[in-house]
Amino acid sequence: MKLVVDRSRCEGHGLCEAVAPDLLRVDDGFATPVHDGDVPADQQDAAHSAVEMCPIAALRTA
Amino acid sequence: MTTTTTIPRSDIDPYSDASILSPYEDYRRLRDLGPVVWLETHQVFAVARYREVYDALHDHTTFSSGSGVGLTETLNKAQKGSSFTSDPPYHDYVRGLVARHLKPKALEQFHDYIEGWAARLVDELIEKGTFDAVTDFAQAFPLAVVPDLLGWPVEEGKERLLEWATAGFNAFGPLNDRTKAGFPLLKEMSDFLQRMSIPGNLRPDSWGAQLVSDAKDGKIEEYLLPGLLGDFLAPSMDTSVSALSSMLWLLGSHPGQWDQIRADESLIPKAFNEIIRIESPLRGFTRLVTRERELGGLTLEPDARVLLLYGSANRDERHWTDPDTFDIHRPGVAQHVGFGHGIHGCVGQALSRLEGHSLLKALSTRVRSIEIGEPTWRLHNTIRGIASLPVTLRT
Repeated sequence: MKLVVDRSRCEGHGLCEAVAPDLLRVDDGFATPVHDGDVPADQQDAAHSAVEMCPIAALRTA
Repeated sequence: MTTTTTIPRSDIDPYSDASILSPYEDYRRLRDLGPVVWLETHQVFAVARYREVYDALHDHTTFSSGSGVGLTETLNKAQKGSSFTSDPPYHDYVRGLVARHLKPKALEQFHDYIEGWAARLVDELIEKGTFDAVTDFAQAFPLAVVPDLLGWPVEEGKERLLEWATAGFNAFGPLNDRTKAGFPLLKEMSDFLQRMSIPGNLRPDSWGAQLVSDAKDGKIEEYLLPGLLGDFLAPSMDTSVSALSSMLWLLGSHPGQWDQIRADESLIPKAFNEIIRIESPLRGFTRLVTRERELGGLTLEPDARVLLLYGSANRDERHWTDPDTFDIHRPGVAQHVGFGHGIHGCVGQALSRLEGHSLLKALSTRVRSIEIGEPTWRLHNTIRGIASLPVTLRT
């Protein structure tokens, strides 16, 4: 599973980073997935929570 | 349009005076009736449960905003063209023009300015003694901050702005007396925004002046300007006024939780989210269904208008534990839909949070107890909020 940020929508609210700090960083106004977006097996729930939490639907799994 | 027989019907009128003043029991009845309920009074479908409101907001192709997000087709026609009454790709373009100023990163440069305003206001109100939570606190703050950032000319009075915003949001509801009373005010607001769209009328180097200069340089179509300027102003007033007055009411009536915030500033973001959840300022917006779609196991047909009740979703016992209890430690509170959610999620939410957090910080470092009297509630079609509440801040 990968986390993908839509940079045309992301406004950097940072709610994803708050629920999945090991998977995303808000840097220079955008959420950026760490490890190229690859989600480790034990972090899949956190990845789904981050997607659900994004207030403006700028984050998805692929 | 045909209504599916399996969808329950109800004669509950969320826009009646009684329901506006005390909405939560009606919301609970709508949630218990089903995931989608036909409102006989207004001939629209209501969605009152959290899961279905969230799902509809995240399927913006089926649940379209382009024909307006209000209750009646007549009034929706008048509100086309702004970012929250449009669909992609136009939506993404217009939202970007507003969001570039309102993103958390863009607002960083204003933190000191807004925190300074918050500190001065709280100091003044401590001096004042008993004051009104709405006029002296909740209205004073957004009225001081937002027009200034937008570039409001100093010689123009700001007293009409709150009335304009109130009229604008009433018009998302039914064509009732509250809505009709606002029509002359909407004309005034429109004239004002036309005037502010003329180069040189807004303060140089402001957000608004940048939009006007972009239009002059051909980067934005000039006809969009009044609507874009309005997007900054109207949605930032009554919504914030509601949240900030509820803040004093909820913290004044839960002194134990206020003590915890005073002892630990890191609780402020969760506390602000919980205020927005339990007293959601915006009742909800509508969407138009563009294709057959199942929602909560019921089938919606194309051209159905659905009213997504954010204030009810945020109290849904299927999603939240003890939803009627104010709890600043509530797990997962940031999932509330008080700012909407999905691609139309409130574009000003970072500014709203900055205002709320700054005021909570200023209060928590100065005020030992928030003494409150009895609140009265506003009669408004779209905004849930306090009309008046006496408050005294004790240091």
